[in-house]
Amino acid sequence: MRALGRWLTEHWIAVGSPLLLLVAWEWASATGLLREAFFPRPSTIAAHLRQLAADGTLWGHTAMTLIRIGWAFALAAVLGVSVGLAMGLWRRLRDGLDPVFAVIYPIPSVLFLPFVSFLVPPGEIALVVTTAVTSFFLIAFTTTQGVRQIDRLVVEAAVHYGARGWRLFATVLIVVVAVEIVAASRGLGALLWLSWQILKIEDMYATFFVIAFLGALLSYGLAAFRARLLPWIQDVAEP
Amino acid sequence: MSTRPPKVVVSEVSVTFESHGRSVLALDRISLQAHAGEFLCIVGPSGSGKSTLLRVVAGLLRQSAGAVRIEADRPGTPLTAMVFQEHALLPWRTVRDNVTFGLENRGVPRAERDARAREMLAMVGLTRFARHYPHQLSGGMKQRVGIARALANDPEVLLMDEPLAALDAQTRTIMQEELLRIWATLGKTVVYVTHSLEEALLLGDRIVLLGSPAYGALLEKIWSQLREEVVRAMAEDRRGERA
Repeated sequence: MRALGRWLTEHWIAVGSPLLLLVAWEWASATGLLREAFFPRPSTIAAHLRQLAADGTLWGHTAMTLIRIGWAFALAAVLGVSVGLAMGLWRRLRDGLDPVFAVIYPIPSVLFLPFVSFLVPPGEIALVVTTAVTSFFLIAFTTTQGVRQIDRLVVEAAVHYGARGWRLFATVLIVVVAVEIVAASRGLGALLWLSWQILKIEDMYATFFVIAFLGALLSYGLAAFRARLLPWIQDVAEP
Repeated sequence: MSTRPPKVVVSEVSVTFESHGRSVLALDRISLQAHAGEFLCIVGPSGSGKSTLLRVVAGLLRQSAGAVRIEADRPGTPLTAMVFQEHALLPWRTVRDNVTFGLENRGVPRAERDARAREMLAMVGLTRFARHYPHQLSGGMKQRVGIARALANDPEVLLMDEPLAALDAQTRTIMQEELLRIWATLGKTVVYVTHSLEEALLLGDRIVLLGSPAYGALLEKIWSQLREEVVRAMAEDRRGERA
């Protein structure tokens, strides 16, 4: 209980501001300032959410989304890190691919769904691949930057102290992948959103809250975990 | 000093860099020797090629002409170990794991590695910080880790590339004393690059100057002043004895 109290004194703004927003919304919808048809009250949504949870729809959809994100992220990470490493190491490849990426990257992922459906079996796989597209570009881009930002002196020191072959590559890779994890933990909420969009879930407002909550949980959770997993990361990724 | 056998022999070494289609001569037929157990300082202004020379000795850079020979009398130990200017520690490794990095790469068993790390960290006064990460240390402490990392490899020659340049004046003074103590304890051959003549005079058994003739003239002036002072002091001493 004391720990909770201490946590609240530190984070009360972060907890309080969404609550304040909800209260304001509730009040605006109740007084007719917002039209209830388009902006149902949070309390109404909560009741609906309870109903969705009770009949199991909510859990099914949430689980499906999380599984889809897991696959999409794994796919994007493997391809993105590989391509990003190659682009970081070989200048010609970087020069060639940079303009292509610059054109494709800003296109919303959803628009890739038809193309992807031609290439892979439509349905679940096509959805996963489409979700992965934007993450792939983001990851490839940050990996390229990561490789380029590697401290030459650190690599030189590693060589000087006898790191060769795989061990040398690992010293390069470890930094890049770590930088990656930092970037990824900032983008997971967006990824969650994207996959939800593609699924076209009904009950928009109800899922809005679930998604917002999950997104915050994932981002904050991973950020908290990061300090445990990579205690040295602030030395490399954050100036 | 000259009676000791030479440890590092640099003969007629030149280094040329290609830069924007032009070739730049960074080192022009440099020859020098460091004797076994000697603390040799290489002094020069920035751009004189002193770091380039050290990197050639370390094997990090290949010379365009000439030869570098390092006498090895203990097979199996590395010829050189470098202490880098910006410490160049691996940020994802703890202090201890940074110190053992070179040993790990050479396949030294874990127990021996850890014992060596403990010994070296004790020598640089960082025993309590073995489990810290570099970002948790001050600049002076990081450089101590860099020194411990180099010494843990027990190299034939310890190379130091302006290791104290980035530190504040007070820390630098402390570190200079530490360095002399460590050198006196281990008796290693040290080749130490610095831009500070003062530092070279303090640390070095012998000083090699790299750079323009003007720089040499300046040193000659300082040297003759120093000699005059010594001669005057000796003369006063003799007067004191006669009285």
